[in-house]
Amino acid sequence: MSHQVSISVSDLSIRFPVYGVDAKSLKKSLARVTVGGRLGLTLAGATEVTALSNVNVELRAGDRLGLIGHNGSGKTTLLRALSGAYEPDEGMIDVHGHIAALLDLGLGIDPSATGYDNIRLRGRIAGLSAKGIESRMDEIAEFTGLGPFLAMPVKTYSAGMQARLAFAAATAVEADVLLMDEWIAVGDADFQKLAHKRLLNLVERAGILVLASHDLDLLRLYCNKVMRLEGGVASPVTDIRKLAELMAA
Amino acid sequence: MDTATHMLRTGRRGALFEVNMALRDVRSSVQRLGLAWSLASHDVVSRYRGSILGPFWITLSMGLMVAGMGFLYARLFEISLHDFIPFVATGIVFFGAISGIINEGCDTFVHAAGMLSQTSLPMFTFLWRTVLRNLINLAHNFVIILGVLIYFGYWRSMNLPVAVLGLGLLVVNSAWVSMLAAIASARFRDVPQIVVSVMQFAMFMTPVFWVPGRLGRAHAILVFNPFYHMLEAVRAPLLGAQPDAHTYSFLALMAVVGWALTFTIFTRTRRRIVHYL
Repeated sequence: MSHQVSISVSDLSIRFPVYGVDAKSLKKSLARVTVGGRLGLTLAGATEVTALSNVNVELRAGDRLGLIGHNGSGKTTLLRALSGAYEPDEGMIDVHGHIAALLDLGLGIDPSATGYDNIRLRGRIAGLSAKGIESRMDEIAEFTGLGPFLAMPVKTYSAGMQARLAFAAATAVEADVLLMDEWIAVGDADFQKLAHKRLLNLVERAGILVLASHDLDLLRLYCNKVMRLEGGVASPVTDIRKLAELMAA
Repeated sequence: MDTATHMLRTGRRGALFEVNMALRDVRSSVQRLGLAWSLASHDVVSRYRGSILGPFWITLSMGLMVAGMGFLYARLFEISLHDFIPFVATGIVFFGAISGIINEGCDTFVHAAGMLSQTSLPMFTFLWRTVLRNLINLAHNFVIILGVLIYFGYWRSMNLPVAVLGLGLLVVNSAWVSMLAAIASARFRDVPQIVVSVMQFAMFMTPVFWVPGRLGRAHAILVFNPFYHMLEAVRAPLLGAQPDAHTYSFLALMAVVGWALTFTIFTRTRRRIVHYL
């Protein structure tokens, strides 16, 4: 199936209408800023942020694309658009293949529910069937290393334990297209090693990886292509070996 | 994991595409009704986690309300308990379901902001979650109705299939109002306050605790009151009466017009809802 995995983005523009902001005070800041996208005013007077403009990306199976850019340059917006959460204002997106978006580990985590319940809930949100989750439960539970704590409410966990649970639950999915906002290896040193291994495993199985990160070494390690975003405008997709030139440009 | 090849197609592709996407949203939400059910039952369970009675607090508090209202108002209106308690029990429980579905509709998308902004889950999944959660509550309250109907002997005359049909009409109609409230509340933060006020007003204008006979059946407050018809469609058959034909035509028309309006608005706002949040 993985031979037909592909991502095709053409002339993608996404604008956020920002509601409840005094449009007048923003008129002065129409000029392009280095941090954040571009602000503009619609005819109706609501403020709009252009998060992405005219982005083109073509990816085939085996592509590992790294996204770099300042905070607010549109990396996360692009990932969300690829996950189907944000719809283009202009342009088109076609993604063939099962998508897994690891954007926010805390997604669907209910602090008052037990670890097991949270794994079930998270799995359901990710598209697993109830049976599918139960058959993987042992493996996920073992991976968290939380043992008897899984039967206790998540709010009793330390931050590190919560991160372990969230990571294990979020990465229990298999996907053709893997979207990641930062390399999300979490936890203490031991767990980080496991997490790295698991992520690499996921990446290997996925047809396509899109990873947003500020860490250039990380991108060199895991990606074969790279794209730079600047105020919502994307550079062409380039080979990872030209990363230094891309950053200098 | 579903093995079917997943495909995501979004973009500006014209009005017809928008309609198709809206239809697809509804379709895939129905296909994944199990997910809505998981979320809804999780909501109920987590709300009562740690309490001794659990979800049966819903039953107990409703039972107290029915008993209090029933005895007091029967005395005030000088109606026999045999006539009044089943009337008020069904009234409070089913009006509670209507107002629950509509009031909680305001939070449908606001509470799901996290999930909506990073997955392509269908929007309608969250409407079904709200509806199913209220149906779970209703099931707990139904214990009271059942008890009352048996105690006062109505079980002999009640027409259960017709009542189930009525419940269907009640849910279909409250669901579209709930969806409109969900969309509007995401965009305008004043809407939840308005909805709560309207529903509170509606509770007193609708024969929930008072008997419609005292007003005269043809009064405008009854004839044009959608809540009266929704309530009547379920309550009358349970109490051994037949709802008016007018009630059925009103509810059918309301469902068709309401869903057409809701679907049109959903089609136009679907891509924007996630940005409202």
